[in-house]
Amino acid sequence: MIAQDFAYLAAGSLEEAVAALGADPGTSRAVGGGTWVIPECNRGECSPRLLVDLRTAGLDGIRPGDGSIAVGATCTYADLIDSALVARQLPLLHRMATGITGGRQIQNQGTVGGSAVAARPQSDVPAVITAMRATAVVRGLAGERRIPADELFTGAMQSALRPGEVLAALEFPVATERTTVGYHKLKRSAGSWPIATAAAQLTWDEGGRVSAATLVLGGVAETPVPVDVDDLLVGQSTLGEAMAEVASRASAAVTRPWTDELAPGSYRAAVAGPVAQRALAGAARRDNREGGNDGAGL
Amino acid sequence: MDGGGLVVSHDDSAAALAQGSAYSGSSVRRHDGDRYLQGHIAYSDDLRLPGMSHAVLVLSPLAHARIVAIDTEAAQARPGVLAVLTGADLAAEVGPIPNAMDPAGVGGRDVALRVLPVSKVVYAGQPVVAVVAETRAAALEAAALVHVDYEALPHVLDAEAAMAEGAPLLYEEWGTNIMLAGTAGTGSFEDVRQTAFGVVEGELRTGRGAPAPMEPRCYVADWDVQTSRLTWHGTTQAPHPLRHSIASFLGVRERQVRVVAPPVGGSFGYKNFGHPEEYLVCALSRIVGRPVKWVEDRTNTLRYGSRDMRLRYRAAFGADGRVSGVTCHMLANHGAAAATGAFGMALAGGLALPSGYAVDVFEAEYQVVVTNKGPYSPMRPFGKEASALLMETVMERVAEETGLDPFEVRRRNWVRSDQFPYATSTGLLLDSGNYEGLLDKVLEDFDLEGTRAEHARLREEGRYLGIGLGFEVLPEGADIPGALIGASDISTVRMDPSGDVTVLTGVTSPGNGNDTAIMQIVADRLGVSMDSVSIVQGDTDICPFGFGNVSSRGVLTGGGSAALAADDVADKLRRVAAGMLHCDDPGRIRLGDGMARVEGEPEQALPISAVAGALYTVGYIVAPDVEPTLEATRTFKMHNIRHQPDDGGQFNLFSTFSNAVYVSVVEVDVATGLVEVLRHVMVHDCGIMINPRFVVGQFTGGVVTGLGAALGEEILHAADGSLSTSGFKTYLLPRANDVPAFEIAHQVTPSPFTPLGTKGAGEGGVACSMASVLNAVNDAIRPLGASVNELPISPHRVLASLQEVDR
Repeated sequence: MIAQDFAYLAAGSLEEAVAALGADPGTSRAVGGGTWVIPECNRGECSPRLLVDLRTAGLDGIRPGDGSIAVGATCTYADLIDSALVARQLPLLHRMATGITGGRQIQNQGTVGGSAVAARPQSDVPAVITAMRATAVVRGLAGERRIPADELFTGAMQSALRPGEVLAALEFPVATERTTVGYHKLKRSAGSWPIATAAAQLTWDEGGRVSAATLVLGGVAETPVPVDVDDLLVGQSTLGEAMAEVASRASAAVTRPWTDELAPGSYRAAVAGPVAQRALAGAARRDNREGGNDGAGL
Repeated sequence: MDGGGLVVSHDDSAAALAQGSAYSGSSVRRHDGDRYLQGHIAYSDDLRLPGMSHAVLVLSPLAHARIVAIDTEAAQARPGVLAVLTGADLAAEVGPIPNAMDPAGVGGRDVALRVLPVSKVVYAGQPVVAVVAETRAAALEAAALVHVDYEALPHVLDAEAAMAEGAPLLYEEWGTNIMLAGTAGTGSFEDVRQTAFGVVEGELRTGRGAPAPMEPRCYVADWDVQTSRLTWHGTTQAPHPLRHSIASFLGVRERQVRVVAPPVGGSFGYKNFGHPEEYLVCALSRIVGRPVKWVEDRTNTLRYGSRDMRLRYRAAFGADGRVSGVTCHMLANHGAAAATGAFGMALAGGLALPSGYAVDVFEAEYQVVVTNKGPYSPMRPFGKEASALLMETVMERVAEETGLDPFEVRRRNWVRSDQFPYATSTGLLLDSGNYEGLLDKVLEDFDLEGTRAEHARLREEGRYLGIGLGFEVLPEGADIPGALIGASDISTVRMDPSGDVTVLTGVTSPGNGNDTAIMQIVADRLGVSMDSVSIVQGDTDICPFGFGNVSSRGVLTGGGSAALAADDVADKLRRVAAGMLHCDDPGRIRLGDGMARVEGEPEQALPISAVAGALYTVGYIVAPDVEPTLEATRTFKMHNIRHQPDDGGQFNLFSTFSNAVYVSVVEVDVATGLVEVLRHVMVHDCGIMINPRFVVGQFTGGVVTGLGAALGEEILHAADGSLSTSGFKTYLLPRANDVPAFEIAHQVTPSPFTPLGTKGAGEGGVACSMASVLNAVNDAIRPLGASVNELPISPHRVLASLQEVDR
């Protein structure tokens, strides 16, 4: 139960939400799926005077554009899972959505936009949208801004959104036919947050050699950690020989590892390598339909 | 060693049970299962009393601090607020919380705990001020306005640090943080060590675990001004002991208190009695003159801990793998003091040693230390996991040192099946068992050599799998001298003129189905169908006295006494029926299928309902010599409990000793340290099973708890003493897809001491799972030269152990 009185606004449009949040940005909060903000309020960790519900603001569409797809801020994980367009053209996003921890309830309630804005180190979304080179479309009283994913996350639980700004959509460049993806999530149990994730995309040329490679680690630091592997993988038709160097680069990239209740930073740095290898190995299997290749023990 | 001349009585009711029982021994479904599934069960929080108010507690943000001043003015002024009370306010009204078990009774230190502290707080999250208001929202809002001025004190979270010189003292009057220290066992380890072939020594640590029932605690107290009586509804395992305790707390007569226990959503020991809020709501209701409800949130359940022990051991053994002596030191981190008797977990852990092994020399030393963590709470298997972990580790180490097969080492050390009843070196009298039989049965479904060969092959591929054995012997059915925790309960069986049967028991059900099992027992003995029988539990105004569901004894005591009471009623039915059927010998009347029949003359029969009706209505004609009631109340005493210490100072507080052998197969991902349990093969022995389905249900829950303790669950605190693991995202309770399919089988070795041959089934699986998984992980990584000795076996601990080898 939320201890203090607060006002609730079901915003009828993005403009209405921006106006309400902009009026007194210090004491209001936007709610997407509410799976993070509402429990926080229940626990008394924040006490906003106004909650602005974005679910009524018409931000829930998945809209194909010219070489890109815009995913509305209030699209739930279930919306992504159920979208044939996302499955075909944004396979990495689809893969991530199917493996979201928390089961059907969270899939139906949680939003990819909300998770991006929450910018929690132990969540799937930041590293995945960074790997996908998404762009956040945000709106404030001063108008619209476009923020590339690699500039969106500024710290643990900190995004580049300014007070009063609202995320309207995430725009994803469409993957080419020759792009394969891999995603590996290390977690301790079915209910555990990710300890370390790796999102990989490989693009292959007509000769079956890698023409571009992207690898981003999540969960291991305050913000997503890109690992530059282009020079190791481009031109290769198999990854076997480069994998040892991939692991040591991934591990070396984690310079300030994240520590929380589930794992110390030293552990996260130590598993960054194997997790990166497993994501790339998944992408190298060249089957985007493959189910989640998560690792979860207890 | 043998039973020391103790008289062993074999109650013939066990044999009778085995004879013609329609229900006992079969997996009858729960009598109220549909109501649970359909959401028709009203739990404590569903209770809405007229005029009910709500209590919210202001919690300490600091782990250790003096309370300097409390300003409640702003909170008092809020609309809807009925009272804002501090520890000082309440100390003038009510006494300290009575101890469920007094540590001073076993040579420990006691502290008079108040429902709210008067002068200082000793853990972060400790309730400090109570706000009572018309609604929970109003109470929450007012609570946020209470200002407490604290003077922070240095705090200590670690048990070893708490014993160091100059450590901050929680209870200054003690002059130490050691609440309790003692020893158990016989003989001198030093003597056997000198002649031993070898000695192993080591250390084990268990993380702090929480009982974490699905349903947190909830209490509603209703002081009725007109009758000067308090009615208490809530989540409790022990209505009668709680009534006694509340009466003492309020300074009223026991008869002025009624305790009602609605169905609970899991207890595990956490809902025995002695928590401050149980008593606080009573005081608040009497002060505001209205019913007061308090509901606990999830985070608060995780402030209560168990386990959190450090075990150090040395074991002496022969070249043949026989263990001749063990010495151990058990250090338990209690957290803040509690009135729940939770300190007894260390005591029970010590007494449960050396498990079911014939180790003649055993020296156990235990210390229970208070720290600024949240309090210990009773939790199954009540400290006995320490004994299983310790002995199963010793057996593995001895196997390693002697080169013998670890399974064979167990066989060589187990108490043999012809040695029971067996007096252990800590004074327990093990009732019965066939431990080798358990292992034989496990191996029927487990190809040990084939699995080992497969693991060797997989190692060539860089995969590391391991096999681990766990064994547990659980002292259960405790009877604690000086405490309202006993190994007996009273049951009443009553048949109406219509032939319907009501069973009233002192024992309650934590949701495990013991009520249905007791109904099965009674239905069989009266020869009626299950739907003729109903049961009432958990209301002190209605039910006979009982100690509640503790120590794994619901069916043992409640079922045993109900069986005896049902037999008394059945005797009367036979006498009445004999008269009505013109049969000279009531012994020839058989009750079954709802009919009373003359043996050998099937046409000579009457419905039991007609027999019952006749006694009530025409008893002077059909049964002039039979007292005109069909009601009996019975109990019984356990023959093997011995409170008077023997010459060696030893005593036996426990009735039965259920036991089990598990074999686990795990795979360790050596790159990440993740452990996956691939197989968990279990054979249990809890004696006669009244309802195997419920037994399996109990073990399934215990195993999941054990796997959680082995691999995931750990209460952690930040350096400032605040709780870090505040919910199930950080306190990793296993979910259904975290555990393997369980392979559970039973061996039945009846207890010679209990009326029905049953043993406890409520604590099984926790300790055994912890031991078998630990041993399996070590078996998997031993080829790499690594080992772990701390639970939970988190991936980071496994990886650290592997990295240590690399260096």
